[in-house]
This record gives sequence, C-alpha cells and structure tokens, in this order.
Amino acid sequence: MSAASFLRALLEARLAPTGRAWLDAAVGELAAGVAPVRGSALFSQASRHARRVPLAPTAQQCAEAGRILEGWNPERWNVLEAMRVTLLLARRDLAADSGVQALTELFRYADEGELCALLRSLALLPAPERFVWRAGEGCRSNMRSVFEAAALDTPYPARHFDDLAWRQCAIKCLFVGAPLWRLWALDTRLSDELARMALDLAEERRSAGRPVPPELWLCLGTYGGARGLAALERELASANPNALGRRAAVLALARAAQRERFAALECANEPALRDVLSRVRAGETSAPTFRHLEPA
Amino acid sequence: MRFFDPHIHVTSRTTDDLERMAAAGVRAIIEPAFWVGQPRTTAGAFVDYFASLLGWERFRSAQFGIAHYCAIGLNSKEANNEPLAREVLELLPHFVLKEGVVAVGEIGFDEITAAEERAYVAQVELARDNDMVVMVHSPHRDKKRGIARSLDIARELGLPMAKLVIDHNNEETVKGTLDAGAWAAFTIYPHTKMGSERMVEIVKQFGPERVIVDSSADWGVSDPLAVPRTAKLMLERGLSAAVVASVTWQNALDAYGQSGQIDVEGLLAKPTIDQRQLFADNSVLRGQDPRVEAPVPN
Repeated sequence: MSAASFLRALLEARLAPTGRAWLDAAVGELAAGVAPVRGSALFSQASRHARRVPLAPTAQQCAEAGRILEGWNPERWNVLEAMRVTLLLARRDLAADSGVQALTELFRYADEGELCALLRSLALLPAPERFVWRAGEGCRSNMRSVFEAAALDTPYPARHFDDLAWRQCAIKCLFVGAPLWRLWALDTRLSDELARMALDLAEERRSAGRPVPPELWLCLGTYGGARGLAALERELASANPNALGRRAAVLALARAAQRERFAALECANEPALRDVLSRVRAGETSAPTFRHLEPA
Repeated sequence: MRFFDPHIHVTSRTTDDLERMAAAGVRAIIEPAFWVGQPRTTAGAFVDYFASLLGWERFRSAQFGIAHYCAIGLNSKEANNEPLAREVLELLPHFVLKEGVVAVGEIGFDEITAAEERAYVAQVELARDNDMVVMVHSPHRDKKRGIARSLDIARELGLPMAKLVIDHNNEETVKGTLDAGAWAAFTIYPHTKMGSERMVEIVKQFGPERVIVDSSADWGVSDPLAVPRTAKLMLERGLSAAVVASVTWQNALDAYGQSGQIDVEGLLAKPTIDQRQLFADNSVLRGQDPRVEAPVPN
C-alpha cells in the first residue's frame, strides 16, 4: 500500500461526507496538474474541510505505517495534517523540478499548521534528501509543534541529517521538553560527541540548580565513559527515590552494558526500580523503552 | 540608582514596560538585532527591522526618558539561510556605522554550523575593520563549545578581546570567557539562563571586573526589570554599592562606550522627557496629555 492510499483510507472514517468529496475532487485536480497558486490555495483550504483533531490511528494502523516507511509513526498526527499530506502526495510531479518549486511556494507562505504538515510529509516524498535544509529549518524553529513535526516520529533526521544537525536535533529535544525517545533510530546514531554534549548539559543544569531531563541519559549509550558513569551514579543518588531520572539512569546503565553495576541493583531490589529492572532483564533497552518508564 | 541594560529587545515590549523601566532607574539600553521569533524570508524584512531599531524604537524609548542604543548584525539562526544571509551581510555596512550603533551584534552561534561560522567571521571582520565592539550571543545548546569557538575565531581574526562581549554566560562558561580577556555578560531570565540568585553568587565568586548584567527581555517570558531587580538582590545579599554599580551600569558603559557613540555626560544629566515630539508624524500617545519636562525618577 502506498502512503497516499493508506492516509486516504484513514481519512475515510474521519471526515464528513462533504469533506471526503472535497478531498477527492482536490486530489483529482492536483493529479491532473495545477498552477502553483491553486496548489497553495487547496493546501490552505483544507482547513475548511478537516479539523485539527487527533488522527488517532490504531496500533495496527501505526504498525502498517511503519511497514510502508520504516520509522514513520502517525500516532500524533492530526486529521488536517493527514489531509494536507494526502493532497501533497497527489501531485504527479514530486520528483521533478516543478514539484520542488510547488513545495518551495508552500513552505514560503506556510502558516504553523501547514508547516507541520509539510515537515511531516518530507520523509514520504521521492528523493527526500532534496529537502534537508527545510527539515533543518524546522528543527531551528522555536515553535515546539514545528520542531516536533520535523524531528519526531519520522525517519527523516536519522536518514538524512549530517552528524551536526542530528546531534542538535537530539539535544534540542531535551531543551524544549520534546520526547527524545520518539526521535527515530536514536540508538543507531549515538556517538562520543553526542554523549559529551549531553553530559555538558547535565553539568550546566546541575550548576544552575535546575533538574536534568531524565531522557538525557538516553544519549549516552556506550559512549559516556567514566564521566558518564559518574553522572549516572549521581542521578541514582537523587534525594527522591521515585524520580523518573533514577529509572532512566538504570536504563542507561544497562545500555552502557554495566553488567556488574546492574547486578548489584538487582540484588538491592528497590521497589521504585523493580519495573525498569524487569524490563531490562527482558531485553528492553532501546530508547523507546523510556516511554514505559514515564509516570502512569 | 541608575541602570544600563545593555541587551533588551524593546521592539517586543510595551510602553507600560518602558514606563516601569524608567521608574525603576533604567536610564540607558542597547537593543541588539536578533531574529524575530520566526525566520524572515527577504532581505527587505531586515532592512525595515534595522531601520526600526535606529528610528522608531530609539524615539519610543526617548519618550520615556530612556537612551536607546543598538547593535546591528545578522543573527546566528538566520545565518543558516545562506542565500538570504549573503544578501543581509552585503547590506550590513549600510547600517553598522550609523549614529548610535554601539556594536556589531548579536552574532555568534546557534547550532554551530559552517554557515553560522561564515556569517560570524564576516561580521567580526566588519567590526575589526571599523574598530567596533562585537556582542556575541552564545548558544543554548552546547554553550561551552559555542563560546570557545566564538572566542577563538575573534582572536584569530585579530579582534581585541577588550572589544568582545560574550553574552548569556553561566556558571560553566564564565571562567573561560573572563580568562580569555573578554567581557562576560549574563542574561537574567526568570527560569532558564540565569536567575538573580545565581548571579549574586557569580559576582561573589568572580568579582565585578568585566562582568555585565542584562535582561535580554524579548517576545518570550522575560523580565524588562531584571537588571534593577538583580541589583536590589545583590545589595540585600551584601555586595557593595560600588560592585553593584559596576555590573549594572559602569561596565556596560565602558564596554560599549568604546564605540564613541554613547553620550556619557548626557546619561549622567537628569533626564527629562518631552512627549510632544513626533517621529515621522507619529506619536507614542493615544490621546493622553503629553508629559513635558517631566523628570524621570532615576
């Protein structure tokens, strides 16, 4: 199944009959080819026919999206975004210069909702590497919605960002409080430099008397070294035994393959850490495991 | 006491803020060019922005008894739009040498990209060739490395360290900045960059020399009264009036006064305001009686 037909099927149950009729007519028009200004008008006009309400795909539907494009997860898309991406994908010239020009126009005049839809679409386009600067601009945005559309639940950063943009993307998640575990394939692009940046940030926060974001520890992997281990021990010694940071530190110790330390924690068998210990024992150590450490 | 807030984006602040600032003793400010919260798409938007810093904003502040100076430059975020950045860099010489421009700034690094570095180098060279001060914005992410890179490049390009102000320092970066010989500015933000309490501790530890306090108040959650508030806390915590005056007035005057653009005697004179003045036929008043010759309470 193509991404376009997958999204169209999802929208079937989520649009009013008039909305479906408008979408199908617009898709036909775009497929036949339209002037850029008409393409922009249709893209904006979608807001008259779909609302910014959660798309709320089922777990099976999310899995299906992941089969269409590895790393794509529409779990947090809204209905209007799905409609707009359907419109984009209807164009037949996406691989050609005219398609790039059309997208450039859309980006140029985009409002916040349109920008999010455009950024979410990038990984689904042919030759997505053509839009790496646009994705980077999305990550530079101060609007969290725009940043997350560019960075999270998409394979785009992991597949196309250079090392510098990738690290900035990961660290920015920690800065803006975006869920880093949703940065697809984080674990495949961990590095000494990312670990160093994360540890610098942890020190900066501690010097300032501010909390360290628990997900920061996901950035260490096996690259934290002695400095990383010391920082994790400090986190474990936190005054609040139930702190999420402590559970994240346990996960990070497992990810750093600190078997002896982990065994010692198992012996101690602290109630607050039981859940994370059992997950690690079951082999759950990837970054998305963090999702389950969050408070219920 | 009188205060100099050498970093505030008053274009985003209301006249209520300007009134409160004047009442709290803020006598002079510097408004550095920055981004406007989202990326601009044309060079014309920069032209209008720079012109507003030199024109309307200076006038507006003056109407409340506050001397407004500015810094002109291409910020680091928008340096990443390279075609646009090239255009903006080309038009900077039209603005940086204007009256009342006390520095090239705020420039520096955001993501520490090659494009940001190219824009920074070009602007440090522009400042060096015109004997200007540089105001450096240090990045939120990877701050320590960003500052080290900003210092190294400026040094390599031959900018005297006395002409370099590194802003948004914190506990982790202050030593490196001061050891390099540059001015270390601190932005007091209520929740993130630096709180007043932490600032007190830094001045206690490092002393007042080359340390500058500013508000960087802008369109986000920030405090246009951060400088007077911090000064008050410093006095309460036992720092001497002389030390507090250094970090909230004199040091900024010494650093940016190197531009020759600051009328120090004018600042020391008792400020008065005349709201009958117009700028391009515009007034800041909306039907109120103009305040004339009203002394500013500082």
